Amino acid sequence: MSTTHPIESAPRDAALTSVAHATDLVKTYGSGAAEVRALNGITVDFEKGKFVAVMGPSGSGKSTLMHCMAGLDVATSGHTYIGELEVGALSESELTQLRRDRIGFIFQSFNLVPTLTALENIVLPIKLAGGAVDQEWLTFLVEQLGITDRLSHHPSEMSGGQQQRTACARAMIRRPELIFADEPTGNLDSNSSGEMLNFLRRSVDEFHQSIVMVTHDARAAAHADRVVFLADGQLVGEMLAPTADAVLEQMKLLGH
Amino acid sequence: MWKITLKGMFSHKLRLVLTGLAVVLGVTFVSGTLVLTDTLHSTFSSLFNRVYQNVDLQVRGVAAFSNQTGAMAVREPFSQSVLTTLRGVRGVEVVEGGVGGYAQYVAKDGTAVATGGAPTIGMTYGEDPRLSSLTLVAGTGPRGSDQVVIDQGTAKKFGFNVGDRVKILLPGAPRYFTISGVVRFGTADNLAGATIAAFTLPTAQKLFDKVGQLDTADILVAPGADKAVVQRAVQRVLPRGLEVVTGQTVANENTSLMNQLLGFLSTALLVFAFIALFVGAFTIFNTFSIIVGQRTKELALLRIVGASRRQVFQSVLLEAFLLGAVASVIGLGLGVLTAMGLDSLLRSFGISLPQGALVFSMRTVLAALGIGIGVTVISAISPARHALRIPPIMALSSYSSTSVSSPGRRLLVGAVVAAGGGLCLAIGLMRSTIAVVGLGAVAIFIGVGMLAPLVARPMASVLGRPLATFLGVAGTLGRENSMRSPRRTAQTASALMIGLALVSTFSVFGASIAQSATGSIKDAISADYIITGSLTGAPMSGISSAAPAVAAKIPGVATVTRVDSGVFEFQHSVVNLTAISRQSLSRTIILRIDSGQGPSTLSTGGMLISSTIANTKHLKVGDSIRVRFAKTGATTVRIGAVFKPSALLGSYVVGDGFFRTHFASSTQPVVLLLKTSPGAAAATASSIKAGLSAFTNLKIQTRDEFIQTEQAQVNQLLGLVYALLALAILIALIGIINTLLLSVFERTREIGLLRAVGMRRRQVRTMIRTEAVILSLFGGVIGIVLGTGLGIAFSSSLKQQGITDIVVPYSSLVVFLVVAALLGLAAASWPARRAARLNILDAISVE
Repeated sequence: MSTTHPIESAPRDAALTSVAHATDLVKTYGSGAAEVRALNGITVDFEKGKFVAVMGPSGSGKSTLMHCMAGLDVATSGHTYIGELEVGALSESELTQLRRDRIGFIFQSFNLVPTLTALENIVLPIKLAGGAVDQEWLTFLVEQLGITDRLSHHPSEMSGGQQQRTACARAMIRRPELIFADEPTGNLDSNSSGEMLNFLRRSVDEFHQSIVMVTHDARAAAHADRVVFLADGQLVGEMLAPTADAVLEQMKLLGH
Repeated sequence: MWKITLKGMFSHKLRLVLTGLAVVLGVTFVSGTLVLTDTLHSTFSSLFNRVYQNVDLQVRGVAAFSNQTGAMAVREPFSQSVLTTLRGVRGVEVVEGGVGGYAQYVAKDGTAVATGGAPTIGMTYGEDPRLSSLTLVAGTGPRGSDQVVIDQGTAKKFGFNVGDRVKILLPGAPRYFTISGVVRFGTADNLAGATIAAFTLPTAQKLFDKVGQLDTADILVAPGADKAVVQRAVQRVLPRGLEVVTGQTVANENTSLMNQLLGFLSTALLVFAFIALFVGAFTIFNTFSIIVGQRTKELALLRIVGASRRQVFQSVLLEAFLLGAVASVIGLGLGVLTAMGLDSLLRSFGISLPQGALVFSMRTVLAALGIGIGVTVISAISPARHALRIPPIMALSSYSSTSVSSPGRRLLVGAVVAAGGGLCLAIGLMRSTIAVVGLGAVAIFIGVGMLAPLVARPMASVLGRPLATFLGVAGTLGRENSMRSPRRTAQTASALMIGLALVSTFSVFGASIAQSATGSIKDAISADYIITGSLTGAPMSGISSAAPAVAAKIPGVATVTRVDSGVFEFQHSVVNLTAISRQSLSRTIILRIDSGQGPSTLSTGGMLISSTIANTKHLKVGDSIRVRFAKTGATTVRIGAVFKPSALLGSYVVGDGFFRTHFASSTQPVVLLLKTSPGAAAATASSIKAGLSAFTNLKIQTRDEFIQTEQAQVNQLLGLVYALLALAILIALIGIINTLLLSVFERTREIGLLRAVGMRRRQVRTMIRTEAVILSLFGGVIGIVLGTGLGIAFSSSLKQQGITDIVVPYSSLVVFLVVAALLGLAAASWPARRAARLNILDAISVE
């Protein structure tokens, strides 16, 4: 690991185990002279019940890292695990099962199904899996997210913040082991951003949700328990109990 | 998943309606055909049952040829002395003899009553009402040799009443009769358009040249007697060559003959229905491909939140299934309406059918739903497979969509399918199995459809160049849009390609048939005038046997050659025999002899066969062949010459002397050929017409007019085929409209940008129209080239059947291409208007 300003990890709590980790992850696109190394040998570990932010300048490979760890993309070499499960070894249907049962996703562009109402979007993963909706949990989630009165609306009838909170409820409805959030506040105004980040923070604190969030916003990263920094496809540092200023400082050093 | 599919479908009602329309039209065609033919079938079967309901048993001649049965069989008349024998059989209550023949009414204005193909029936009026199928509604039965009974349908339509004098054309000279009564057939005014003239038995026997003879003897079994017992008793007393069957058997035979004819009709219509559905399948396939492409993000999203590949696949197929089901039900309803429409159309043509409701069988429902849903779902399988291969990561905006399937494999498969189709077609044509030919054509179309993307880009570029030059920037953009997605362009154009390929095939085929037929007539006829009857085919051509003698006496007519025709058995198949007289033959008919002696064969009782028959049956001059005639039985005939086949003479020709020996003496000629005297003394068309004025149904034409008529007949048939193919073209156009609408939707943002930077609405419309015209021309060019090839292949394979000239009607093909382009322009009008009306702000703010 080559970094100009290595930040030593704080000693880990022994009770915390890994929810996902990657070892020597390499991802290349193209070949020959046009070869691009998006990931260049990353080893990283995400703890259970923690909120981890992945930061880095554009093209640093942070999204690629997330895609490979979530089984959306296939790494060129190296291994990724969700719990004890090696993602790279899974078949197509096992991957579907993994996504359906153990992972939740939140995207920058919300990605709700436009023809379905908010409620239908939220329970979609359960319907796809063919299970029964935990009404209590659903009610709790939508109340916490403040979208109770928006449930019968279609995405086009909701504000960006409401849409993202709906997407958030969808991600959490199956109580996944891990939520991958890809720039969840990228398309939101600062108010909505704040609400969204507070909710993510609370879900970690109150019901021990594990979250990995890719972002390039220092204020967003400040909500996390830990921030890992990427540059040129490599892990270049990390920070515990981050503040927005410290993160910004670190990013500047990375040439942001 | 059900819910997502349904919601997705309802949010895109328009594309749903347009895609469904293709299925609706095809299913309408299928179900309409089935309902119509089922209805006609049931109508005729109840009609024949009613006609024969009073006849317990019928005595008739046995079928003259071993491989002919039922209503089609040739049966010889028998002596009426049998009646006496029959009356002596225990259990026979009433026996009535009957004869039948040609009898055509002449309307009050002097023209022969035309039936549009239905027979003009002359028959015996049965004296005993218990045995008769006719019911008197006015007047009385005929008395003496001067009276006739007419059917109510003809009486109503032509204003005949009891007591009127009416002229009737007969096998012999025409005669006047007094109408003594009007009859109905059960509840029907007439027999499906046929006219009826019923005479007393002796009159009918005289008129139809069967004095002392009967065609049939109907028997009423005594009350209380066992029909089967009486039938056996009758059979025991019958002389050789006669048989007795139940009335029900006769009704069934007539019904099954009618079913056979209806079967041809329904098969022909269904072929066109399937063509329409096949074209529809391309449209559905294309639409679903585009829909899946446009929904890539949404489907990938479903995959991310946990949908399995199978669920994505099923959701696309479910959409197809629902679409197919709804469209099929609508098509089924429209089909029934169409059948009702056709039914009343038949009635308005004066074809009176017995009252009967439309027959709507379970089979029609199952066929319509099965075919409609099947076609839709099968067409959606490939797009659905495409959908299941969409990787979940496609949901993320950072990934642009890339082609999932390899084009190389597609092209390889396309080439293999097309080549297989070609092989299939060749084999089918050689063995003349039409199903294999059809399969081959289908495979060729699919294969070419798969290969078309290969040439779509360069061809769109070439076809679009003139448009781009003339229409400026809008034209250039339209051309580029058509080149942007070669696969979509090719798929959209494929449907039109098939339609135009079939039109071109028939065009080449029809032109070749017309050319061959007229060519062979030109080569075979040297006569100045050709006289034909109102009906076609022997023995009831409608030409009176008295006409040749009358014609010969017209001043200025030098020679009259009568051409007769009849059937006989030649090497186990029943075929047509043509008879001509040797006298002055060369002045009216040109016999092109390949080998042997033509004229002398005619006078010495030998037979001439065509070179086609000689080749296929390996016969040569001097061979002796066993043949069989209905009247005279088996005999041997020597082949005296081999001639070049012609439409006029058919394949087997004998002299008139030979013909009269083996056929009834009074048969009606099928054609009369006249040669006028040379110079100023020559008879003119009007003088011939005047001379033959007694025979009002005769058509007198010069050689050129006759050839034109033949050509017109082929063209008429071709017109019908084009009309039936129009539906397939219509479906192809719906496909183009649908694709353009989807493209406009897809490019909303782009169009908005163009408008924002100053493109006028008019230019937007021009852009979309240019694309449509290029699409149509692309489909048109490939289709016409393909169709011309297929047409040449079909025509060449029928050389043995008399298609000797292959003609490519270039001017028609050019017209087709122009029409295709215009239709494309028309198809573009709606999408173009839609695109032009887009609100700029909305368009560019669409995500």
